[in-house]
Amino acid sequence: MTGTPTAQAGPATTGAQASPQTGTIYQPDLVIVEAIVDETPDTRTYRLRFADAAKAASFSFRAGQFGEYSVFGAGESTFCIASPPTRTGYLECTVKAAGKVTGGLREVDVGDVLGFRGPYGNVFPVEEWQGRNLLFIAGGIGLAPVRCVIWNVLDRRDSYGEVTIVYGARSVADLVYKRELEEWAARADVRLVVTVDPGGETPDWSGEVGYVTPVVEQTAPRPDNAVAVLCGPPIVVKLTLPVLEGLGFADDAIFTTLENRMKCGVGKCGRCNIGSVYVCKDGPVFTAAQIKTLPQEF
Amino acid sequence: MSDETIDDRVEGAAEAETIDFANDDDVAAPRRRLLLTHEALAALVAELAAAGTPAVAPAWAGDAGRAAGATAAARETEYRTVSGAAELAFGERLPRLSLKQFFLPPTEVLFSWRRSGGGVELVSAPTTFEDQVVLGARPCDVAALPIVDKVMNWDYADELWNARRAATTIFGLSCGVEDDSCFCSAVFLEPAASRGSDGRLTPVEGGYLVETFTDKGEAFVAGHDALFTELAAGADGAALDAQAEGFRAAARERVAANLQVDHGRLRDWLDHHFDDPFWASLGPRCNGCGVCASVCPTCHCFDIVDEPESVGRGVRRRNWDTCQTCVFTLHASGHNPRQDQNARFRQRVEHKFLIYPLKFGDVLCTGCGRCSRACPTGQDLAEILADIDALAAAGEAAS
Repeated sequence: MTGTPTAQAGPATTGAQASPQTGTIYQPDLVIVEAIVDETPDTRTYRLRFADAAKAASFSFRAGQFGEYSVFGAGESTFCIASPPTRTGYLECTVKAAGKVTGGLREVDVGDVLGFRGPYGNVFPVEEWQGRNLLFIAGGIGLAPVRCVIWNVLDRRDSYGEVTIVYGARSVADLVYKRELEEWAARADVRLVVTVDPGGETPDWSGEVGYVTPVVEQTAPRPDNAVAVLCGPPIVVKLTLPVLEGLGFADDAIFTTLENRMKCGVGKCGRCNIGSVYVCKDGPVFTAAQIKTLPQEF
Repeated sequence: MSDETIDDRVEGAAEAETIDFANDDDVAAPRRRLLLTHEALAALVAELAAAGTPAVAPAWAGDAGRAAGATAAARETEYRTVSGAAELAFGERLPRLSLKQFFLPPTEVLFSWRRSGGGVELVSAPTTFEDQVVLGARPCDVAALPIVDKVMNWDYADELWNARRAATTIFGLSCGVEDDSCFCSAVFLEPAASRGSDGRLTPVEGGYLVETFTDKGEAFVAGHDALFTELAAGADGAALDAQAEGFRAAARERVAANLQVDHGRLRDWLDHHFDDPFWASLGPRCNGCGVCASVCPTCHCFDIVDEPESVGRGVRRRNWDTCQTCVFTLHASGHNPRQDQNARFRQRVEHKFLIYPLKFGDVLCTGCGRCSRACPTGQDLAEILADIDALAAAGEAAS
């Protein structure tokens, strides 16, 4: 049917003895699982290191970007890079077991070899936010992309104004990054509000009880000189955007990410279209002003 | 990777009214004009077969079509590698599938993986391909290739697509067998469009007028020089030119009667009628099978999946996919941004006539009409475009 290949297959890369990436744009680099953290009963954070030392040394990304992660045999899936660009030598993703690839990740142990393609997509303009107050809002596993920005900012703490974090999950058990939540709560230079959906609280729960959107309404700081970063399930984003507007946040001071299904990550496979944007290349970071110009198909 | 934002798109939308669809890669002036007799074409196919150069051409799909007295319905053709002139089916109905499969195969291996010790070994798929030639491809199928080149090369270059493109020399065939589903002239093409072709064949008495447009086309002709007769500027050449132009003009006129739309108006309507009730009239007569995407020369969406071959080894493939299935956009959480067939069909229309034009300056459709012919429920793209254009015209008149 097509021209018969005339060249022998390209050089191989191995986990143990890796050479630089070869092959097409669809071929991942090999990464080794360095650590696995149980976040919730169904969610884990994987810390990954490039098998190839030169790749590890040259790799860089910016807050907001994502990758395509491979579990060989299960396939490839799209997750944000949940660790901050200010911490080098590794990257982390936080994954909820829900589908084939995420299910496959549950079988993975420390030392196993996975694949990574990226970084892809646009970025949160954290440099432009210097000197401004920051409001971070996340629902459920939506804290993963926000966490990347939070640590990026906290690692450059002097460059930013007040930092407020509002985080909500379905239940106490579903809160991710519990150790980091404690760390942020203990810091004098961070205001942290954690809430769980009604019915999701435990007897000794001392945080808020209520959905993220109303809790934001009650606890958000003033919008003056502030930027809001909002990530979560589509329903949380859809409901919270108008609340932020009502609080006085300008459309171009509200940033969110769209989490459309993707396959290629490089603007080819056609899956992540919304209106005339390809989320994988024009996003995943969008301002509320930009979201308003798009069909509400997310 | 880039800091590009959708502000670029928003600016693009403002300019959308004035998108210039002039086909910059459409080559108007032929470099060489030659005659290829029927006998010489047969000799050419034989020569290519003997040299082991794959020659892809419209060919009879089965013996039934070729038989004397075959019904029109039985005269099915397909693009495939041919080894003799008897297989050729030039000037018949449009082949069942487009040329797309020769550049983006229905399924292909991206790389293979194998576990060894504690590690994983990846073996890349080859990205070089044997030279091949396409003879007698329809202009609507050929024009799709430079259109899809754009998405395959913005920022990231798809090596597999590009390598197959580079290895292929294409001679189109001026088309004279349009039917009610054809509308190439409504999407900036025509039955003899040269866009994407290295050369073009046009039927004339005794054979084909051959025109070359590119270095590749010239090199191919030069490689088989004895079979082509250079046309002198004299009376013979003029007579053949007149025949060829007569053939092309008649076809142009027939296909232009099928559909005419104003793309600026159509695009503007699409951009502002995402929630129009019109879309709800399309979903119910679509069963989401996606055959429209399979037969389409420009639909290029794909899926990427792993296929285990044994314990500890397997391949990663990309496969043709379609936005018409419910799982195309389904999140692992169960959330689906496109919840019904209305939304999925709207995506098909918008991707082709709004999104791609805004993004890449080209309509993602060559008017081949295969989607309409293949649709089991009678969904007709020419009819849908005419309906939208009428809505857009009514909107303009009202404002």
